[in-house]
Amino acid sequence: MRSSIARDPVDFVWIALSAVTAVSWALGAATDGSHLVTSVPTTLGVLAIALLKARGIIRYFMEVQTAPTWLRRFTDLWMVALWGSILTLYLA
Amino acid sequence: MWVFVLGDLIIFGTYFVIFMVERSWHRDVFLESQRHLNLGLGAVNTLVLLTSSRFVAQGVRAARRNDNAHAVRLVLGGGLCGVLFLAIKSYEWASEIAAGHTLATNTFFTFYFMLTGVHLFHVVLGLVILGVVVADLKNPELRRVSTVEAGATYWHLVDLLWVVIFALFYVLR
Repeated sequence: MRSSIARDPVDFVWIALSAVTAVSWALGAATDGSHLVTSVPTTLGVLAIALLKARGIIRYFMEVQTAPTWLRRFTDLWMVALWGSILTLYLA
Repeated sequence: MWVFVLGDLIIFGTYFVIFMVERSWHRDVFLESQRHLNLGLGAVNTLVLLTSSRFVAQGVRAARRNDNAHAVRLVLGGGLCGVLFLAIKSYEWASEIAAGHTLATNTFFTFYFMLTGVHLFHVVLGLVILGVVVADLKNPELRRVSTVEAGATYWHLVDLLWVVIFALFYVLR
């Protein structure tokens, strides 16, 4: 039987986003130290998690999931443009 | 409210891209500076803001159900998380400054203090807006769900921007 928290989308999203934040924290901690070095796998993981969190906040906390089409498209476009630029500049 | 939120997304998005351009030019300086940031405090502040967003989102739903007393408690809970965020960020800034890292140290710390500072201003403004939401919820003549929704949208923006700041400044390698 599912708990009331699992039934509530806001609570479910909150738990999921908190969990992936912990993963992101662990990824950073694993490469933390007196001398940081470039790590493409860590960065790709961190950026993927950040994108997941941003989309969760926009779609479920800001309720863009049920907003007019133009707003859904604008926020999607913002995420694609920002993450695309970040990734391109990181890998350049 | 969405006009301001979308405007902020464009402005902060531009800041983030400029940060990445600078990072690509001074990769070693950015990595060396980054290790002085407190990853744990950054992560805890992310969890604090996510929790605040959860409270505020639940507050909107309570207001829609006309359960205004519960909505007030939830929005206040969100606001308290915001105050906790400010306290942790103030401690973090004080620790960095005590360690000799200031706005003038290098490009990374200029971005760090400027962007987290502008974000902090948004947190303070968000707290004022949540205060207005609570005052309106307590007043039957002013009470409107649209006010609660608008205030919540702004507060979630604060959370959203921090998620990107946390990734770029604290965890990117």
